[in-house]
Amino acid sequence: MATTTATITLASTDIADNALSISNTMTMTTAGTTTGLSETTGLARKKIASATEVDLITAFNTDVTALKSAKVYIKNTGAATDKYATIGIGQAAGTPIYIGRLYGGDWMLFPWDAVLVDGDGYAASVIDGGGNHADNHDITIQMNDATETVIEYMVFFE
Amino acid sequence: MATTTATITLASADLLSDNLSLSATQTLHKAGTTTGLDGIQYEKLEIAADVHYDIIDATAAGANKANKVYIANKHTDSTKYINIYIKDLVVGRLYAGDWMFIPLEAAAATQDVSVKAISAAQVIEFSLIHEGKTLVAYS
Repeated sequence: MATTTATITLASTDIADNALSISNTMTMTTAGTTTGLSETTGLARKKIASATEVDLITAFNTDVTALKSAKVYIKNTGAATDKYATIGIGQAAGTPIYIGRLYGGDWMLFPWDAVLVDGDGYAASVIDGGGNHADNHDITIQMNDATETVIEYMVFFE
Repeated sequence: MATTTATITLASADLLSDNLSLSATQTLHKAGTTTGLDGIQYEKLEIAADVHYDIIDATAAGANKANKVYIANKHTDSTKYINIYIKDLVVGRLYAGDWMFIPLEAAAATQDVSVKAISAAQVIEFSLIHEGKTLVAYS
């Protein structure tokens, strides 16, 4: 078992009359336990020089167990604040649900259910606790233009 | 204009054969600019079991922007989790003590952020840092 922590600090002295200071540390554990996540993709870097939507992380090609407590970190390492990567969940060839835009310098960390089509036995059209299963829950990415941009990502999983 | 930063530190001494020590800081800007986000919503809620609740509405004023969302599951029982949704898709499970931080595109009014807890009286904290939201008219 490994001990891996993720700490966030959100801070501002002028977004409101009083300062904003949120700090939180989580220890990444396997689903429903206090045992640390012990597997990772490692930190990966990918150059993207196209505005075509692609799968950044494919659920099928990782060893991530679906419906557990996997975590995904993604960073747009670009410096241009007017260039962004739209991150979604689904399949690039299908109809992903878009989470949001990572502008130059932005990062995100989120839990990932990583289910495959019909992964929980429900029909693809059924929207249930496991999500909409019309597509695998890959992580998709689309840059807003073809400027070469380096994306870093890392998955922690069981 | 406000200056708000979000810093992440990922650390482990034993996940890999070498130490993992990663840190990144972003300044939260309005979409496509270097002007700081200046709107904030910060709440703490207790949510009932197995009921699907919207916590952040995708509104026209916030569509296709650089909004940021922070959510934390404040429960202490490691077996308790909350499903996090965008639109009708489960993004993943936030177990007790977990947090997440994401950009929110909110391109369509259906792209709300919502939650469903697996047990009663689960407490979450969440914050939306944004550059605008459509207010609900009095009725």
